[in-house]
Amino acid sequence: MHPDLDQQRSLARRLRELPDEAAQPYGWREFQRRSGAHGRAGRGLAGGAVATASVLALAIIAAWARLGGWSPQAARLTPEAAQPLAAHTAAMEHWLASLPSEPAVVHVGTRAAVTGLEDRIAQVDDLLSAERLDEAHPARLLALQQARTRLVGALVQVRYAETLADESR
Amino acid sequence: MTRLVEITVSHAVLARACAGDEQAQAAIYAAVAPATLTLIRRFVGRRAPSEDVFQDTMMIFYQRLPQFRGEAPLGAWLRQIAISRCLMYLRSPWKRLCLSLDLTDFRVGAAGTALVAQDYQGESIDLERALATLAPTARAVVWMYEVEGYSHQEIACAFGRSVSFSKSQLARAHLRLRAWFEPQGNPPSCTLI
Repeated sequence: MHPDLDQQRSLARRLRELPDEAAQPYGWREFQRRSGAHGRAGRGLAGGAVATASVLALAIIAAWARLGGWSPQAARLTPEAAQPLAAHTAAMEHWLASLPSEPAVVHVGTRAAVTGLEDRIAQVDDLLSAERLDEAHPARLLALQQARTRLVGALVQVRYAETLADESR
Repeated sequence: MTRLVEITVSHAVLARACAGDEQAQAAIYAAVAPATLTLIRRFVGRRAPSEDVFQDTMMIFYQRLPQFRGEAPLGAWLRQIAISRCLMYLRSPWKRLCLSLDLTDFRVGAAGTALVAQDYQGESIDLERALATLAPTARAVVWMYEVEGYSHQEIACAFGRSVSFSKSQLARAHLRLRAWFEPQGNPPSCTLI
């Protein structure tokens, strides 16, 4: 048999033999509960304005959910993790910079989230500067960088939701 | 691994479920839910968005169940819905933005490896790691072709692309996976396709 074909068959076999998902899905009751929540949202609200509101609300919730303090993973970060973190943050900031500073329509809820996030990013920047001056432990600097990346990621989510909301009007 | 397409449900249970019998619907859920979530996780990756796609898939499944004519196994019918929802998720503007920005939620490569390491153990971890280094589209094509048995024509149709798209994605993914398993050299770095 041609070695390439043999390898391909071997790969297919190995893929099929992979174990099932380790964590089981939630049960029937939970599925029904979630389905009910979806249904009520669909019946109670209608129209583009509601879709916009939903997107914005979800973005704000997602953004604030990310702000729940330091990640326990931060302590396990290695110095090699710093470079990708910086690169991701730079890419996100580049995208944010490409947006107009104010959205076409200002929503109070998202503006509060945006300014809150921007303030927290500024605070982390101050902290990072101070820690670098004090020659802080690399793990501490990495934790701060990771926190900054999370905040910028949350800001991207909210700004993206604002962009969607503007486009849907 | 239990494949979704291999799961069958008796006609009696199916008929009761179509008629709105909750016990029958729950029995079908218990039979198909684990394999459905497993399939979706292969496409989507992380747990939280996978559960969103799973919920969406199962809701559509129950909405459309009365229309099921039994021409194909129930699992195959559900698989079609699940894969369609996964591809919609992969094509969504937010997902594309995340990939272009390489956001943490959707990072492949190192992050994917970390994710795999938390969830799986044993000999299969190497293959899981290798899969995690593939871009989501390439991973979806590999899974559809190698495991689910889709033809290039069917994959092209599902993605709304040409047959050569499917073939080239698969060929590149094979190269990557082979390079990963070759004993010499380092695993290839990830490229988003």
